[in-house]
Amino acid sequence: MSSIITDISQEAISGIALGSIYALIALGFTLIYKATEVVNFAQGELMMVGAYVNFFFVTQFISSAGEPSLWIFFIALIGSVIFAVAFGWILDFVINRPLKDEPIFSVIMATISLSIILRAIVAMIAGPMSLLPISPFGQNVIKIGGIVISMLDIFIIGSAILLVIIFYYFFNKTRWGIAMQATSEDPIAAQLMGIPVNKVHAMVWIFSAIVATISGILLAPRMSLLDTSMGFLGLKAFPAAVLGGFGSIGGAIVGGIILGIIETVSMGTLSFHFEWIKEINDIIVWIVLIAVLMVKPDGLFGVEKVKKV
Amino acid sequence: MLKLIGVETYYGKVKALHGVSLEVKEGQLVTILGANGAGKSTILKTISGLVEPEYGTIHFEDKRIDRKNPEDIVKMGISHVPEWRRIFPELSVEENLLMGGFLIKEKDLLQERMKEAFQHFPILKKRKDQRAGTMSGGEQQMLAISRALMIKPKILLLDEPSLGLSPLLVQDIFKTIKYLHRSGVTILLVEQNVNHALKIADYGYVLTSGKIFLSGTYDELYEEEKVREMYLGEGKYVRRAKLWSGS
Repeated sequence: MSSIITDISQEAISGIALGSIYALIALGFTLIYKATEVVNFAQGELMMVGAYVNFFFVTQFISSAGEPSLWIFFIALIGSVIFAVAFGWILDFVINRPLKDEPIFSVIMATISLSIILRAIVAMIAGPMSLLPISPFGQNVIKIGGIVISMLDIFIIGSAILLVIIFYYFFNKTRWGIAMQATSEDPIAAQLMGIPVNKVHAMVWIFSAIVATISGILLAPRMSLLDTSMGFLGLKAFPAAVLGGFGSIGGAIVGGIILGIIETVSMGTLSFHFEWIKEINDIIVWIVLIAVLMVKPDGLFGVEKVKKV
Repeated sequence: MLKLIGVETYYGKVKALHGVSLEVKEGQLVTILGANGAGKSTILKTISGLVEPEYGTIHFEDKRIDRKNPEDIVKMGISHVPEWRRIFPELSVEENLLMGGFLIKEKDLLQERMKEAFQHFPILKKRKDQRAGTMSGGEQQMLAISRALMIKPKILLLDEPSLGLSPLLVQDIFKTIKYLHRSGVTILLVEQNVNHALKIADYGYVLTSGKIFLSGTYDELYEEEKVREMYLGEGKYVRRAKLWSGS
C-alpha cells in the first residue's frame, strides 16, 4: 500500500514539474489572448526557437570555456532572454501590427503560418538531426523519504513559481501592468486615458516570447531530445489554458499543473496497473479538453465575460 | 479654445458628420443636443482622435489636433468620458483612477489627485478596493468622470452621462456637472436629455443627421419652436398643448 502512495507522490511531483512547464506555455497563450484576443498557435514554436537559441549559446560557451559550469548556463539563459525580447518585438511588428485592423481570424491564421515557417527555418539552420540538450544539473537527484526528485525538476518548479510571482507583481502592482489589464479589458477606453495601446501590445508579445523561451529552456533537458517537433508540445498547453478558463492567468497555471499530473500519473502508476492506458496516454489531455468544453466551457476559473455595450 | 471647422467624418462609406462647425470658449459649458444617431458621439470621438475626420479642421488652443492620435490629444488636456462610461469593470475603483492618471509620472501628484477625487466623491473612497463593474450605474458614472478628471483636463468631453440612469441619479449627475462647471472646468456635453442639459449650459447646438441645425443660448433655443417640436414628438403634441393652454 505504502509503495503505491510513494509511487503516486513520486509521479505527482514529476507531474508538477512537467505541469509547471505547461503552465508557463499556457501563460504565454493567455497573455496574448487577454490583451489582443488573438490565440497564438505559434506559442509552441516560440518555445522551440527559445530552446534552440539557448542550446546554441550553451554549446558555444562550453566549447570556448572548456567545461560546463552553472555560470555558463546562467549566462546562456540571460542571452536567450535578450533574444526573446527582440524576437517578441519583431513578431509584434510582423504579425500583430500590420494585421491590426483585420479580423481576429486573419491574425490567428497568420500565427499558424508563423508556426510552420519557424519550424522550417529552425530545421534549415540547425539541421534535421535531433540535438542532445545538456542539463545543468546532470543526473543529480535528492531523496526525501522514499521519493526521488531530480534537481532539474526542483529547478523547473522553482523557476515557474518565481516567474509567476514576478508576473503577478507586475500585473497587479505596477503602472504598466495595470495598463496592460486595462488595455485588454477595453482598448478604446485605455486609449482615452493616454495609454499607448501599440506599445502595450508590443510588450505583451515580448513577455509572451520570454515565458515561451524560458519554458523551452526548462523543457529541453527534461525531454532529453531536442528537435523541431517540440513545438507540438506547445499545443498541449492549449488544453491547459482551456481547463483553467481561457484568458485567466491563475487558471492557466492551475490548468497546466493539473494536466501535468494527469499525464505523468496515467503514464506511470495507472498504466502499470491498467495496460490499456499506455495506448491512450498521448490523447488523454485531448480527452480532458473535450470533456471540459462539454461540461464547463468557461473552465475552472473562467469568468463569464462581462458584456460590453 | 476648441474650434471645429467644417468637420466631415465617415464610418467606412457612411458619412456621419456633414461639415460640423462649432466652438467652445474657455470656462464655457456647451452642449450638443440631438436624437439617437444624429452624430453627437461621433463629434466627440473625432475630437479625441478615436476617428479621423475626412475633411475639416479641429483647433485646440490655436493648434491643429485633427490627425493626431488619441494619446497625444489626451496629453494636450482633452479628456473624454465615453458613452456608457466604459470604466474598466475587472479593475478596482482605485486602479481605474490610477489609469485615469496614467500620464502623471510623479507619484506624489498622482496620490494628491486621487485624494481630491475621493473628496469630491466620498462613495468612491468607500468602494476603493471593489471591482468597478460591481458598482451601480450612477457610481460608475461618478467613477468615469473622476477618472477623466485625474489629469486636470483643460476641457472635459462628456458623452451622455445620464444614459441608463434613474431620474433621481440623472439629477445627481447634472448637479455634479454644474458643480464642475462652476469650479472652472470647460465642458462639452453631449445629451439627449434636452431639458436638463440646456438648463445648465451656456450655449447649445442642435444636431440632426450629422448637421448643425440650430444653435443658441438657453433662452434662444427654448424660444425656438422647432427645438420643442423635435423633442416633443413631431410637433403634434406641441400644437395640442397650445390648444390646451388656449394660446
